[in-house]
Amino acid sequence: MSDPLGRRSFLQRTAVSLAALAGSKALVSSGRLLAAAPPRWGPEDPEVPNAEVARILRERFGDRPIRRGHVQLDMPAVAEDGRVVPVIIESDLPMTAERYVKGVHLIVDHNPDAHVAGFYLTPELGAVSISTRIKMKRTTWVRCILETNTGDVWAGYTKVLVTLNGCG
Amino acid sequence: MRYDLGDARIRVPDRINKGDVITVNAIVSHPMDTGFFRTKDGDPIPAYFINEVRVQYGDAEVARFEWTSGISRDPIVSFSLRADREAPLTMTWKDNRGGVFKQSVNIAFTAA
Repeated sequence: MSDPLGRRSFLQRTAVSLAALAGSKALVSSGRLLAAAPPRWGPEDPEVPNAEVARILRERFGDRPIRRGHVQLDMPAVAEDGRVVPVIIESDLPMTAERYVKGVHLIVDHNPDAHVAGFYLTPELGAVSISTRIKMKRTTWVRCILETNTGDVWAGYTKVLVTLNGCG
Repeated sequence: MRYDLGDARIRVPDRINKGDVITVNAIVSHPMDTGFFRTKDGDPIPAYFINEVRVQYGDAEVARFEWTSGISRDPIVSFSLRADREAPLTMTWKDNRGGVFKQSVNIAFTAA
């Protein structure tokens, strides 16, 4: 540490230029995605990060708007072991013969197989309350998207920090 | 601990009254290999995981789960069920190599 100032300013400069690079990349990719599809979610919802997630959303929900609400997605903010990450999904939507949640989709943006699970439900369950444990490759947004029998689509999002890669 | 592939358990509450929405907990022993890991010798471990779960309550299929290897080893799942009749609850887990694992519990109401 003969020259702490020089070292520090070098690190700072590197950090700034890296941040600038990352920022410009993010802008370019978001511009592309916006051009490809009209925005179907709110400004505070996580962006669609890659073609795979875009494909999943298009195949499962078509052009329907994916609105935030009615989904409670409980996951740890920090997952120390990506091999075992608990997930609890709940919803206040009714489960009656006339109106019910028919599908619950769990999507982990940066997993090799992003559509981790689909749960297909019937009114006989009486409520939407599902829990399981999943694997996560790295820090990313997790999307839980519900589809009702009437065709409405509701989503909940949470970001999970992953310390140990659980996907290999 | 001994490892028995496909060993499955389903847990429901001890006391159930007609009409209760109960929580059903289930676990099955399965490696849920993603296909991305290798052994210590460097050989790839092929993908081996449960990809479908069916839940039958009496005569009706009440839920179906579509899984990938993104579900953790020895998968647990819990879900709700409106206990409106006395009937067996049967779960069937199927894996990507044709393995089929079954387990049942009886949904019976607490005697008044």
